[in-house]
Amino acid sequence: MKLTRRGFSGALAASLAAPAFISRAGAQGTTLKLGMCAPVTGPAAEQGRYAQTGAKIALDAVNKAGGVLGKQVELIIEDDQTTNPGIVLAFSKLAAQEDIVAFLGSIRSTQVHAMAPDVLKLGKPVMIGGTDPALTHMGNQWLFRFRPNDSYSGRVLADYGVNTLGKKKWAIVHSTDAFGTAGGKALTEALGKIGATVALDQGYANQSQDFTPVVLAVKQSGADILGSYFTFENDLGIFARQLRQLGVNVPYVGSPSIVNVSALKLAGPALYGTFGVADYAEDSSEAAKAYGKLYREAAKLPPDNQSAWTYDAITILCAAINKAGKTDPQAIREAILATKGHAGAEGTYNFDANGDGLHGYNVVKNDKGNILFDKHIDFND
Amino acid sequence: MDLILQLLFTGIGIGAVYALVALGFVLIFRATNVVNFAQGEFSMVAAFVMVVLSVDLGWPYWVSFLLSLCAMALVGAVFNLGVYYPLRHRSFLPVIIATIGASIFLANSVLALYGPQPQVLQGWFDTPGIQLGPVYLDSQYLLIIAVTIVLVAFQYWFFEHTLLGKKLQATSQDKEMASLLGIPVSAMIMLTFVYSALLGGIAGILVAPILFVSIQMGATIALKAFAATIIGGFGDVAGAIIGGLALGVIETFGAAYVSVPYKDGFAFLVLVLFLIFRPQGLFGERVAEKA
Repeated sequence: MKLTRRGFSGALAASLAAPAFISRAGAQGTTLKLGMCAPVTGPAAEQGRYAQTGAKIALDAVNKAGGVLGKQVELIIEDDQTTNPGIVLAFSKLAAQEDIVAFLGSIRSTQVHAMAPDVLKLGKPVMIGGTDPALTHMGNQWLFRFRPNDSYSGRVLADYGVNTLGKKKWAIVHSTDAFGTAGGKALTEALGKIGATVALDQGYANQSQDFTPVVLAVKQSGADILGSYFTFENDLGIFARQLRQLGVNVPYVGSPSIVNVSALKLAGPALYGTFGVADYAEDSSEAAKAYGKLYREAAKLPPDNQSAWTYDAITILCAAINKAGKTDPQAIREAILATKGHAGAEGTYNFDANGDGLHGYNVVKNDKGNILFDKHIDFND
Repeated sequence: MDLILQLLFTGIGIGAVYALVALGFVLIFRATNVVNFAQGEFSMVAAFVMVVLSVDLGWPYWVSFLLSLCAMALVGAVFNLGVYYPLRHRSFLPVIIATIGASIFLANSVLALYGPQPQVLQGWFDTPGIQLGPVYLDSQYLLIIAVTIVLVAFQYWFFEHTLLGKKLQATSQDKEMASLLGIPVSAMIMLTFVYSALLGGIAGILVAPILFVSIQMGATIALKAFAATIIGGFGDVAGAIIGGLALGVIETFGAAYVSVPYKDGFAFLVLVLFLIFRPQGLFGERVAEKA
């Protein structure tokens, strides 16, 4: 067969145009695609499984109710390996698929920081669970948070410890990652405002195998209460055990990981009697109870915030796309920000202009392994 | 003083774990001249087998322990046949890369079979520890220290006072000469892998009640054990023990008196200093090429 100039030009033009047609055909496919970066491997793989379960429960409900814009919704999951390079790679793989309209990012602030520049470049909405306040205050309009940020957790921890438990001399132990550092800072600031003192501000590196030096520092500080921001439950488990072994028995209030299912299992009696701020507490509202029932049926496990935030994120995101009536990123963004009074598993969502949906925390107590809801504190400022 | 004693005990306890895993590194290095980067995964696999037997199946602790060690002997043998043996005539680099690959394979196999959940394994004793004056002695750390002492003594006796140990030493020193003397070199190397897997397995089962049983536990321990091996002098049994204990004590005191977040940094700072100023380690012999 002889290749003519016209034939060659035609074939070249068709080759160049084909990807555009193929991707458009995909975009107009039978399903609407959402991307999710989740830790399938690495230290948080267990929590990643909870997060996927929460998202899938919401997805099933959305699809049973008719889907989004008349299509069934499909969730494409990429493993973020529980690392910053891992989530950047996972997000880049998802972002390369043009027909994915929005994404779920990480519950770990440090990972959200790592992926944030790519999110800004892509310009599509990303739902996050990281609680470093800076994430929604650094000029990235595409990040939407489905958990209360740590400026609230710090205030609730400080308020509960000082005004309810009556303790004013604090030791603070926190991870040195973005979440722990921001949390420790928020707690220190909140304590300063209500006249309490910080006797010890102690950071630690994630995945430490031994906390003896930290526990001894707490002991020597003379603090009458301990506050903590732990990122990984296995660290918290080791710390809590050593705390009790080395005779530190002051009241202990902690960030949400202190009431996570994994932490309760690993630390066991070492966390009995502690208090925690929890964005998800099963008895805090009717919506939380309803979600708890769904999760227990699906996962045969008690629910916690690792799955509750992804459940809410998928539910609200799908509702927002339906409300926007199209998959245009800006229209979805505006619809998410317009979400007010939505009763979710984590609380009542009222998005502010920064992209923060929740503005308060529950306080719960670990009563011999059972998490008892005490009260919910919301802030208007 | 109380603080120093408490830190010293903890440092020695953690260091003993590093030393146990480092012993496995040393044995394989001596026999094959390669570093087995899957040594940490032996600890992880053994701990998971122990969880399956003693927690999931509810079998008695001692039975589970012995069966876990049997499983590790099998893992060591299969590892030798599948990873080292096919590459035994190649240079050290392909073998090292194969051990890294095997390490990833083992971690992901356990992840696929058992799932990502960290597991709790009860300690050997009902009493979590004893208070000796101002110092709290964790019973599991006491056990780890005792087992390390026993294993080191056993290893010394085995290598220096038994024919089999001497055959193993001969194999590690010169495989060709050993072969000419009628020593079954392949069988000796197989035995080394089995013994190293057992050592790694014992370390994993002993440390599991402290660090929990997780997919990452092997990598965490192995990295420090590898540093301990270099500090002690690669290939030297006494060096691995001293290096492991020194590393545990240095990082614990460094964390307490200098900086907690840089705890791991102290261990690797010592490693870098050794690599610069004494690359042969504490007990290693200086290697020089003849002109």
